[in-house]
Amino acid sequence: MSFKSVFVAVVLAVAMISAALIINLNRPSHETDYPDAASIRATGKCAECHRRETSAVVHQFEASKHARLGVSCFDCHKPLENQEKLEHRGFSITADVTAANCAACHPTQYDQFVKSRHGAPAWSAVAGGQDFTAEQIAFSEQYHPGAVDRGPNQLALAEGAGAIEKGCAVCHQIGRPNADGSIGSCTECHSRHQTSLALAREPTTCGSCHMGPDHSQLEIFEESKHGVLFASQRFHMDLDADPDTLTTAQMPIPTCATCHMSGLEGMKVTHDVTERLSYWLFAAVSDKRPHWLRGQAEMKELCLKCHTKGPVDTFYAEAEVVVEATNAKVLEAKKIVSDLRAEGLLTPEPFDEPIEFLYFDFWHYFGRTAKHGAFMGGADYVQWHGNYELLFKLAELKEMAADLRERHGN
Amino acid sequence: MGIKGLLRDRAYLLELFSIANLAFLAVDIYSAHLVNDFAHWAEWVPFYFSLIAPLFLLPTVWIRNVKGRWSRPAGLLVGGCSILVGVAGLFFHLESQFFTLQTLASLVYTAPFFAPLSYTGIGFLLLLNRMVDHDADEWRVWVILLSMGGFVGNFALSVCDHAQNGFFYWEEWIPVIASAFATSFLFVLATRIRDRGFIRLTLWVMALQALVGLVGFWLHLSANLAADGLRLDDFIYGAPSFAPLLFVDLALLAVIGVLKA
Repeated sequence: MSFKSVFVAVVLAVAMISAALIINLNRPSHETDYPDAASIRATGKCAECHRRETSAVVHQFEASKHARLGVSCFDCHKPLENQEKLEHRGFSITADVTAANCAACHPTQYDQFVKSRHGAPAWSAVAGGQDFTAEQIAFSEQYHPGAVDRGPNQLALAEGAGAIEKGCAVCHQIGRPNADGSIGSCTECHSRHQTSLALAREPTTCGSCHMGPDHSQLEIFEESKHGVLFASQRFHMDLDADPDTLTTAQMPIPTCATCHMSGLEGMKVTHDVTERLSYWLFAAVSDKRPHWLRGQAEMKELCLKCHTKGPVDTFYAEAEVVVEATNAKVLEAKKIVSDLRAEGLLTPEPFDEPIEFLYFDFWHYFGRTAKHGAFMGGADYVQWHGNYELLFKLAELKEMAADLRERHGN
Repeated sequence: MGIKGLLRDRAYLLELFSIANLAFLAVDIYSAHLVNDFAHWAEWVPFYFSLIAPLFLLPTVWIRNVKGRWSRPAGLLVGGCSILVGVAGLFFHLESQFFTLQTLASLVYTAPFFAPLSYTGIGFLLLLNRMVDHDADEWRVWVILLSMGGFVGNFALSVCDHAQNGFFYWEEWIPVIASAFATSFLFVLATRIRDRGFIRLTLWVMALQALVGLVGFWLHLSANLAADGLRLDDFIYGAPSFAPLLFVDLALLAVIGVLKA
């Protein structure tokens, strides 16, 4: 046996092994720095199949900040305690990624979100509090008294199951309780695989629920100067800018998220979309919120990034006049209906007589529209879609009440 | 014919080896392609090829002459097809990810691109058995080189497959080290075919390969059995149980190559 043969064989083998070691050592840490083998495998194995099945989700994920930061599919799809495990091609995953999975990395955002109206109150507005645990109800009631410890929505019940699942629930599921004990779904605003910040800052994202006659915020925004400017200058804006260091240079025009959530130029970012509000504008008769002074101060601080104090104060004062005036009109309409009920001219069941629908439209459509229009700079919605309709419907209500009394010989 | 007679008939041994491997690949391919439910029609090609092709070679087993009137063209045909199946498989496997995104990561997570080349290797063995005199040194050199090619594949597969886990367990380096030594020793042996001392050393290296293969088989099997309950899914999507046996298989091939005429 020649030494040369052994030498060459050993050197060649060592060279091959060294090459493998060097390549492996140079692998990016975000591919290998995981506590278990399955998590490492998931950094590439999931995409290998999903490029052929549901390929769009792979491309959406690749375009995400999560992908740039080295987050893997398994980081979000790894089942947490209380989550049902799905055995999926060698991986034990959760198919139902909930707010709990997001909260594992974004606990502050989840804590803020769950205190907001987007939390439990959103779901109970349709289904009532029956789907929540006693602890969840008690928690949410601290921030939204009466909004969760309540019965199911009477109109939704009257419309029936189909309307609820494909209608109401689609938006209100943002606050649906999950089987794992968490509440809500972050993907409603951020989407699933793109987990996009820019998407959450798009007015149309908020507007996918906040639109239509009952809460026409999107339409009001589009009519407002904010909306017009956004439409014309959106391509100069950096909707992906980091929320913690966001400047007016990056987003000189506000979208819904700017005013209600963003940390513009040093302000605190919040996922509690109700934090900067001062009135319960969605209610039939709008009262001030418990912490309205703080909320208004925070919102005004944001207004001051673009406007001077005088016009901001004037804007608020004028909007409050609209709220008070609308409250008065709604109270008048409410009295008409409650008087009829007291006189026994209406059945105790809700939504079974035309005048009940008319009254519902009165405050739920036109009252809200006028108030939202006033606070969001939508003049047409204050007037033609709001107050004009209030005036018209009040006349109709009075006439219907008179007819009812006449029919019953009163 | 006794064992001694069989061991002296190297061409026949190589033929049996090739047919057995070709047939066993049907089982291996079936379980491997179950991973994605035979999503592409072409995934059925190697499966049916492995089922049918050995039948063409059975007469050769019967008459024990690889260069007979029937067995020569049959072997050349099956060998040629086998080479094509292997090369096409390589491209199809790379298409699963690597052709979409040419990165090291996608090379790691693509379908095992080296695996289909086992068909190419078997194809070349069948051609070799018919085109080169099995008494010549050339025959031995080619068998050793083809065995070495298999170990190169084993090296690449061990690196890529275990890189999918980020070499989470240190044991995952064993087949990488083993196949590197097998490759280098067989490479040198191909140039030193009459060096009896080096042949003996290489046979020890091959014995170690067989041991690594058996241990690997057990480790893969036990990893799949360790999951909650006995589930078919763990064998389909878990560690490939049969893959380490390729070390035993290729060591056997190398031994056939160094057998005396």
